[in-house]
Amino acid sequence: MPQNLTRRRLLLALGGLSGVALLAACGQQQATPTSAPAMTGGGAAPSPTAAPATSGMATPTAPAVVKTPGSTVKVVYWGSFSGNLGEAEQGMVKRFNESQNEVVVDYQYQGSYEETAQKLTQALAAGTTPDIVLLSDVWWFKFYLNDVLLPLNDLFAANQIDTKDYVDPLIEEGTRKGVIYWVPFARSTPLFYYNKQAWQEAGLPDRGPKTWEEFVEWVPKLVKQEGGKTVRYAFAHPSAASYIAWLFQPVVWQWGGRYSDPDFTIRIQEAPAVEAGRFYLSTVRDGWAVPSKDIVADFVNGAAVAMMASTASLRGITKSASFPVGTSFLPEGPKGFGCCTGGAGLAILKNKPKEIQEAAFKYLAFATSRENTMWWSQNTGYMPVRKSAVQSSEMQQFYQQNPNFKTAVDQLPKTRQQDAARVWIPNGDQIIGKGLERVTVQLEDPGTVFADVAKTLEREAKPVVEQLKRREG
Amino acid sequence: MERSIDVVERERMAKMATPTTSNALLLHLRRRLGDWPLFVLLVAPNLLLLAVFTYWPLVYNAYLSLMQWDLISPSKLFVGLENYRFLLEDSEFREVSRNTVVFTVGTVGGTVVLGLLFALLLDQPLRGIALARGVVFAPYVLSGAAVAVFWVNMLNPRFGVVAEVASWLGTVSPDWLNHPRLAMVAVILVYIWKNVGFTTIVYLAGLQRIPKELYEAATVDGAGMLERFRFVTMPQLGPITLFLVVVSTISSFQAFDLIKVLTDGGPVNATTTLLFYIWEQGFVAFNAGRAAAAAVVLFALLAVISLLQVRIGERRVSYD
Repeated sequence: MPQNLTRRRLLLALGGLSGVALLAACGQQQATPTSAPAMTGGGAAPSPTAAPATSGMATPTAPAVVKTPGSTVKVVYWGSFSGNLGEAEQGMVKRFNESQNEVVVDYQYQGSYEETAQKLTQALAAGTTPDIVLLSDVWWFKFYLNDVLLPLNDLFAANQIDTKDYVDPLIEEGTRKGVIYWVPFARSTPLFYYNKQAWQEAGLPDRGPKTWEEFVEWVPKLVKQEGGKTVRYAFAHPSAASYIAWLFQPVVWQWGGRYSDPDFTIRIQEAPAVEAGRFYLSTVRDGWAVPSKDIVADFVNGAAVAMMASTASLRGITKSASFPVGTSFLPEGPKGFGCCTGGAGLAILKNKPKEIQEAAFKYLAFATSRENTMWWSQNTGYMPVRKSAVQSSEMQQFYQQNPNFKTAVDQLPKTRQQDAARVWIPNGDQIIGKGLERVTVQLEDPGTVFADVAKTLEREAKPVVEQLKRREG
Repeated sequence: MERSIDVVERERMAKMATPTTSNALLLHLRRRLGDWPLFVLLVAPNLLLLAVFTYWPLVYNAYLSLMQWDLISPSKLFVGLENYRFLLEDSEFREVSRNTVVFTVGTVGGTVVLGLLFALLLDQPLRGIALARGVVFAPYVLSGAAVAVFWVNMLNPRFGVVAEVASWLGTVSPDWLNHPRLAMVAVILVYIWKNVGFTTIVYLAGLQRIPKELYEAATVDGAGMLERFRFVTMPQLGPITLFLVVVSTISSFQAFDLIKVLTDGGPVNATTTLLFYIWEQGFVAFNAGRAAAAAVVLFALLAVISLLQVRIGERRVSYD
């Protein structure tokens, strides 16, 4: 009955409700310390059991992370994969959680690489960071510059993991001044993908073109027109948001140019890079390549019969294409071969209780171990990050059955780290990417466009150069 | 009339009533403090929320607009008006401003004019009109992201429905969302498609409030259909039109989800509006100062537009 609700009762009810809310809030705060039993007394003081790394105990196995048996440490892990890759990433976490009973990894999907970086930035401001995070090639450096990532050398030593077993160019990318901050996990390279069926119809040899010149010769056999409309393109260019700047990186090298020097001297406006840009322009102007918002969909549906794309798409593309898919090394340009690495690695956040960091490292070590990097690679198309995995008989056998997966590994020794302008200037990837859209979509001359891009890059590089000086001296 | 006399009477009675002692104290306090304590008590919760979530961010944003900051590092660098100077000189920002004007005029004009048209049609006493009203209104309640994903597929130049229809008609559908000029047109059209239901419903309510006698009188005076519309419907809908223009302008400035999913602001910057630019500078480029300065510009712009609209409203719109 409505009369029962007097003002006093309403106030009482409201007071009760806020009390419940308060209790709930307190309960939440209490929950965290209980999940980390050794952590009474604040994060700064390392408990004796949580610091085996420095105690010098030469235990044959990796040191245990918790004091009381049966209790577990909870680790929050932020990742960025969806679809096929997301399933594999969750599978990895599940394998880890089932493999032992000391650490429980709580996997939390955050969206794209960009969104993950955005959320990590916000989390740093709010003080609610995850313990372990997946960061892409263009994002980890920003967090390194701000000194929020944990140096991992001691943990590698304590867990007796030989960092030399990680594929050299990959681990070196995450190492600054001899200290490892970013461990390769989902590392990729661009591959040349082609539609074998279209190749066969055109009477072409079953391989990718050795050079771009050769590809241009093949193009007339691959393009199809119907009633004045191109219904099948020979090649597709992605948009800035789909990382065209990453895929153009090797092309610039193939033409003898580069985006920048490691010291942020911008070189994209110089003749070799501009020539590479003119080649891109010609592909669209001559009507055989199409700028597309979704090159993978166009390729899988047969609207474009070749593309450059990440190794990471291999499993997904093979699954959804109705024709046999071929992969090969990137074609060579006038100045020879060039290919870059890409993808993402794992990092652990600083300023966490030592116990949490050690637990987080357990996952990091697990996910990049010889066995698991093989499992991950076979399920995604990313490259194995351990030398011992690449050489293992299991992997060699897998490559015999799936030759497309081998292309990336064979190409790996010839790859190099991307230019600083794309990966280390904030938004550098998108600045270059939008410049490339001006070429592939608006058909502007790369001479003008790259001069504009260079100016923007130079301006945006300034704060990074200063920050780097402060960070590394 | 009756009611107001009653109220006056009651107030007179209340004044005459002699207070008891405890009431006297209250009355005394009330005379000294007026209605302030009650006012503060009633207003405080709202004011507190506004202060924390609106006024403080506003002030803090203005402060950030004078800084150079990457959102992570503990120290911010004071740069004065440098961020504003940058925006003034930046060709990208000029393009973004131009886009914002085109987008706002296109979407506000489109939703208001089409909304009126639909409302006039849906005001007819026809069979199945309720269903038609539902259909027009439906897109408005859908999530922006879902609408955008739907249209990305519809407009796909190679497999989309639009391309298919174009090929039946013997023409070629362009790559709407990846075209330097058509991308903006496509985004505006999708925005109108999603939001026209709102203006339609509001106009429909307005139409049904117009007294029938006015139309009858106009008919007696010999007014035809167009004249009835020109001299009865339009002036009667004046206040509603003003309301819709103000509300649509503000929500058009806030458009984000459609743009993000449809074009990501591209190709290049072809569909980057002011709000999208603020997001990009802030959370993609991590340039807090520049984003804050652009946000101040957006704030000023909205304030001026709202003021202008209210002024025009006072002068031109009749509320009778």
